[in-house]
Amino acid sequence: MINLLARALMMSTPLLYGSIAEVYAERTGMMVTAIEGIFLMGAWGGFVVTYLTGNLFWGVMTAMLVGVLTAALYGWITVYLKQHQVVTGVAINTLVLGLSAFFMRVIFGIPITPLTIDPLPHIHIPVLSKIPVLGVILFQQNILTYIVYLIIPLSYFVLYKTSVGLIIRSTGENPEAVDVAGLPVERIRFLVVLLAGALGGVAGSFYSIGFLGLFTTNIIGGRGWIAFAICFLGNWNPRGAFFGALIFGLAEAVGIYIQSSGVELLPNELFIALPYILTIVLTVARRSFNVPAKLGIPYKKEN
Amino acid sequence: MNKPLVELKGITKYFAKVIANKNVSFSVNDGEVLALLGENGAGKSTIMKILYGLYKEDEGQIFMNGEHKHISSPKDAMALGITMIQQHFSLVPAHTVTENIILGNVKGRIDWKAYEQKIGELAQSYGFDIDPTARIKDLPVGLQQKVEILKALYLDAHLLIMDEPTAVLTPQEASKLMGFVKEFTDQGHSVIFITHKLKEVMEVADRIIVMRDGEVHGDVKREDTDELELSRLMIGRDLKPPKKSEDAGGKDRKVVLSVENLSVIGSDDVPKLTDVSFDIREGEILGIAGVSGNGQQEICEAIIGAIPSKSGRISLAGEDLSEQNIRERLETGIGYLPADRFRDGMIMDMSLAENMLLKESFGDKWLKRGFLDHGRLRRYTEDIIKDYEVKAPGAGAMAKGLSGGNQQKVVVAREVGSGGKFIIFNQPTRGLDLGAINHVHKTILAERDKGKSILLVSTELSEIFALSDRIAVVYKGKIQGIFDHNDLTIEKIGLLMAGYNDDKGVQA
Amino acid sequence: MNEKLRDLILTDIAAVLLGLILSGLLMLFLDKNPIQAYSVLFTSVLNDKYTFAEIFVKATPLIFTALAFAFTFKANLFNIGAQGQFYIGAIISVAMSLFLGDSIPRGLALIIIFALTIVGGALWGGLIGLAKARFKANEFLVSMMSTYVALAIMNYLLRTKLLETKMEYPQTDPLNPSVWLPIFIPGTRLHIGFILAVVVAIGIWVLLYKTPIGYRIRVVGMNPDAARLAGISASKLYVIAFMISGGLAAMAGFTEVNGVQHMLVQGFNTDIGPAGLGIAILANANPIGIIFASILFGALKVGGTIMGQMSGIPASIIEIMQGFVMIFVIMSYFVRNEIDVRREKRKLRKVVGQ
Repeated sequence: MINLLARALMMSTPLLYGSIAEVYAERTGMMVTAIEGIFLMGAWGGFVVTYLTGNLFWGVMTAMLVGVLTAALYGWITVYLKQHQVVTGVAINTLVLGLSAFFMRVIFGIPITPLTIDPLPHIHIPVLSKIPVLGVILFQQNILTYIVYLIIPLSYFVLYKTSVGLIIRSTGENPEAVDVAGLPVERIRFLVVLLAGALGGVAGSFYSIGFLGLFTTNIIGGRGWIAFAICFLGNWNPRGAFFGALIFGLAEAVGIYIQSSGVELLPNELFIALPYILTIVLTVARRSFNVPAKLGIPYKKEN
Repeated sequence: MNKPLVELKGITKYFAKVIANKNVSFSVNDGEVLALLGENGAGKSTIMKILYGLYKEDEGQIFMNGEHKHISSPKDAMALGITMIQQHFSLVPAHTVTENIILGNVKGRIDWKAYEQKIGELAQSYGFDIDPTARIKDLPVGLQQKVEILKALYLDAHLLIMDEPTAVLTPQEASKLMGFVKEFTDQGHSVIFITHKLKEVMEVADRIIVMRDGEVHGDVKREDTDELELSRLMIGRDLKPPKKSEDAGGKDRKVVLSVENLSVIGSDDVPKLTDVSFDIREGEILGIAGVSGNGQQEICEAIIGAIPSKSGRISLAGEDLSEQNIRERLETGIGYLPADRFRDGMIMDMSLAENMLLKESFGDKWLKRGFLDHGRLRRYTEDIIKDYEVKAPGAGAMAKGLSGGNQQKVVVAREVGSGGKFIIFNQPTRGLDLGAINHVHKTILAERDKGKSILLVSTELSEIFALSDRIAVVYKGKIQGIFDHNDLTIEKIGLLMAGYNDDKGVQA
Repeated sequence: MNEKLRDLILTDIAAVLLGLILSGLLMLFLDKNPIQAYSVLFTSVLNDKYTFAEIFVKATPLIFTALAFAFTFKANLFNIGAQGQFYIGAIISVAMSLFLGDSIPRGLALIIIFALTIVGGALWGGLIGLAKARFKANEFLVSMMSTYVALAIMNYLLRTKLLETKMEYPQTDPLNPSVWLPIFIPGTRLHIGFILAVVVAIGIWVLLYKTPIGYRIRVVGMNPDAARLAGISASKLYVIAFMISGGLAAMAGFTEVNGVQHMLVQGFNTDIGPAGLGIAILANANPIGIIFASILFGALKVGGTIMGQMSGIPASIIEIMQGFVMIFVIMSYFVRNEIDVRREKRKLRKVVGQ
C-alpha cells in the first residue's frame, strides 16, 4: 500500500509538470495542444543525451531545450501567425512522432539489443525519509519529484502575488486590456508557451530517464493529453493541477500494480485505459468551469 | 491656454478593406476640451488609437510640445502622459478594480493591501464611490467607466482621450461626467472627447474637429458655431428625417402582443426582470427606454423564448406562447432584430442569400425535391437588395464584406419578412451612419403603418422619441411606467432611467 | 474569387513541395541522396500498375477519416477521435465478417456488415456528441480520450474473443473471401472501397451544401448564438454531427478490414486519424477537396514505404513528410491571408491615389 502511494506520487510527477505548463499557458489564452509532442521530444532528447554522455543532468537540460524548441514552433504558428491551436498541435505531434523515431535511427542505427540507461536515482532525504509511512511515500523519490514540491507553491505565488502573474491572468481573460495597458500580448503569450515547453520537456524526460530507462515512440501514449486534461479539470490553477495529477498518478499506479500482480480479475486493458476513462468521466461530470475567457482565441488587432 | 500640446500632421491609415484616416491633421491645446465629432465609421476612434499607440499610422507624424514623437505602443503614449478610455471598456471582468488599475504598472511582488488602500484613496479624492476589491463583472456600467477613468488618473495622465463615453450613461450621469471633464481641464489637463452627439459637443467642448469619411471637415470654436452647421459638416448633405403619422395606436385597436407579470431570473440567480407587463396594439410602436443593461435584452429574449421566464404570460394575438420554444414562437409570426448583429443576427462567413434563409430552414418553403432551392433563394435575395438599397455586389456576396449599415438592412429585411404580426427591433441603428439610420427608421414606420405591432428597444432617446407611440422606461428589470410619447420630457425620462419615480422615490 | 482560388492552389502546392524538400534534407542525415530517393519513388510509382493503384488503396481510409474530421469541423466541433471510431468500425466489420462467413451471398453480407459498422461508429461518435450536447463536456478532450479506450477494447478482443484459432499472435483468423470487397482493377489491391469513399465524399458535400440539415450544421458552426435565436437547436445537431462523423470514420474500418487486410491485426493503421485531420485542413474541410488531398497523402504513404524498401529510409519518414506538409499547409493559411490583405490595400491605395 505504501509502495503503491509512493509509486502514485512518482507517476503523477510528470503529469504535474505538464499540467502546470498548461496552467501557465492557458491562463494567457494559449492551449498548448502540442503538449503530447513536447512530452515525446523531452523523452527523446533526455534519453539520447543521457545515453551518449552518461550524464542525467545534461539529459534533463536537453529535454528542456527540445521542449522549448518544439513549443517555439507551436508558439510561432499560433501566436504570431494566428493559426488554429488544435490543428497546429496535431500537426506538430505527427511531425515529432516521425522526427523522434527518425533521429533514433540516425544516431543509433538499428541496435541489436534495446538501448537502456540507468534512470534517475531515488534520493533518500536524510531524517525525513525515516518518518514512518510518509517518509517512504514523500522522501524516497527522485530529484524531479522533489522539484515539484517547490513548483506548486511557487506557481501559486507567481500567479497570484506578482505582477507577472497578474499580466498572465489578464492576458487570457482580456488581451485587449493588456494591450491597452501597453504590454505586448503576443510576446507574453509566446514566452509563456516557451515556459510550457521547458516544463513539458522535463515532464517527457521523466518517462524515459525518470524511471523506464529506455525510449520508444509510444512511450508517452497520450499522457501529454492527460496533462492537458488535468489543467481543465483542475480549473486552471496550480492547486487543482496538483490534486488532478495525484488522482491520475494513482490511477496509473493502480493499473501497473494490478497488471504486475498476475491475478486477472478484470482485463488488463481496462486498467491501461483507466486514466483515459477517468478523463472522460471527469470531463463529463465536472461543472462550472473557470475557463479563461479568451482561451484558444488568437489576438487580432487591426482588420 | 493656447499652446498646442499634441499635433497630428497628415496622418493616413489604411485597413484591409477601407481607408480609415486620410491626411488627418489637427492639434489639441493645453487645458482644452477638444471634441472629435463625426458619424460612426468617420475614423474618429482610429485616429485616436493611432495617437495612443494601438494602431500604427501608414503616413504622417505626431508632435508633442513641438517635438516629433514616435508612439509605437500605449506604453510610449502613457510615458508622454496620454491615456485613452476605449468605447468598449478594456477591463478584465473577472478581476478586481485594483487588479485592473495596476495592470502593467507594477513590478515584482504585489502588496495587495497597500494598492487597494491607495486606489481607494484616489477614488475618494475624486468623489468616486468604488470598492477597490470589487470584481468588474459585478459593477454596473456606469461604475465600470469610473474605473476606466481611475486608471487614467492613477497614471497622472495629462491628456485624456474618451471614446463615446456617454453611450452607457443616463442623462444625469452624463452631465456629471461633463462636470468631471471640466474640473479635469481646469487643472490644466486636456481632454479629447469622441462623440457623434451634437448636444454633448455644444455642452462640453472648447473646440470641435468634425470628421467625415476619414477626413477632417471642420475645425471650429464652439462659440463660432451651432448644431445646424455642425450637422451639415458631419453628414455632408441634408437629411430629411422620416415623418410619423399621428393617427395610429388608438385604444380601440386590438392588442397583438401581451406580456403579463413577466419575471426572469438570470443564471447567476439575480432577478433580471420583475413583474413586467405591457401590451402592444396593432399598428403601434412601443419604445423601451433605459440605460443599457437594465433588462431590455431579457425582455426581448424572453418574448422569443431564448431565455426561460420564471413566471408570467406572453401571448401573441391571443395565443399563449409561454410553453413554446423559440422555433414555434418565431413561426407564429415574430420578427426579432437582435442588438448585436455580429453575434446574434448574421452569419458573417455566409452569403447574403444563405443569411436570408437563417430562420426559414425548417419546413419546405425553400425546398425543391428535398434539396435547398438555391436559385429561388438567390432571386429572392436579389429583390431584397434592390428594394432595400443594399450596397452589395449580389446575393452571393459574403455578409462580412458589407458595411455595417448594409448588413443591418439585410437583417431588417429578413425580420420584416418573417415577422408577420409583430417585430422586435433591439437597438436597430446602433453603429450605423445617418443615411442607414434614416432608412431603418423609414422601414420601421412603414411596418407600423401596415398594421404590425412593434417593440423598439433603444438607448438613444432621440430615436425613442422620434418613433414611439408609447414609451416604457426600464430600470433594473422593472418598468418605471408607460407613457404617451407626448407626456415625457428628457428630464423626466432621465430621472426614470436613473431609478427615480414620482411616487416612490428611488427604487432599490 | 478567382484570385483566391489561384492563391489556394499555389500556396497548397508550395506547402507540399516545401514539406517534401525539408523531409528530403533530413535524408542527408542517413547519407541518403534525397533526389535519388524521390526519383526512385516516382519511377516505381509510375512504372508499376500495382504500386500506382496502391496510392488509391491507401487514400481510401484517409478519405473517410478526413471527412469525419471535416464534418464536425463544419459544426465547429473537434472530433480528434476518428482513429478510435475507425477501430470500432474495424472491430465490428471483422466480427460480423467472421460471423457471417460464406453463409449468405457476398453482396448481402457486405451490405449488412457495412450497415452495422456505420451504426456502431455512429453510436460511438454519438456518445461524444451527447457528452457535448447534454453535459457541455469538451468534445475535443472526450474524443481524444475515446481513441485510447477504443484501442484498449480492440486489444482486449484480439487477445480473447477474436483471437485467431492458432492462438499465436494477437490477430483474428483471415476472413472468408466471400466477404472481401471486390477488386476492380485486376492485378492490384484496389477494391471498390475507393469508389465507395468517393461517392460518400460527394454525398457529404451534397448533405452540407444542398440540404437544410447541412445548412443548419454550418450555421451552428459559424455562429451558434445566431443559430439559437433562429430556433436552431445546437445540441441536437451536435449529436447528429458526431454520429455522422463517427459513422464516416467507422467506414474506414470496413474498407480496411474487408478490402485490404482481410483480417484484423493488432497495431495497424495507427496514424489515419491524425492524417485525416491534416488532409481535412489541406482541403479546407471541403469534401471534394478531401478526395484529392487524400490521394496526395496516400502517395506520401506509398512513397515512404517504397523509399524504405529501395533506399533503406526508415518508415518514420512518412510521418515526417505528413507532419511537415501539415505544418506548411497551416502556414499557407497565414500567407494567403497576408496576400489577400496586401492586395486589398494596394487596390485601395490606387483608388485613393486617383
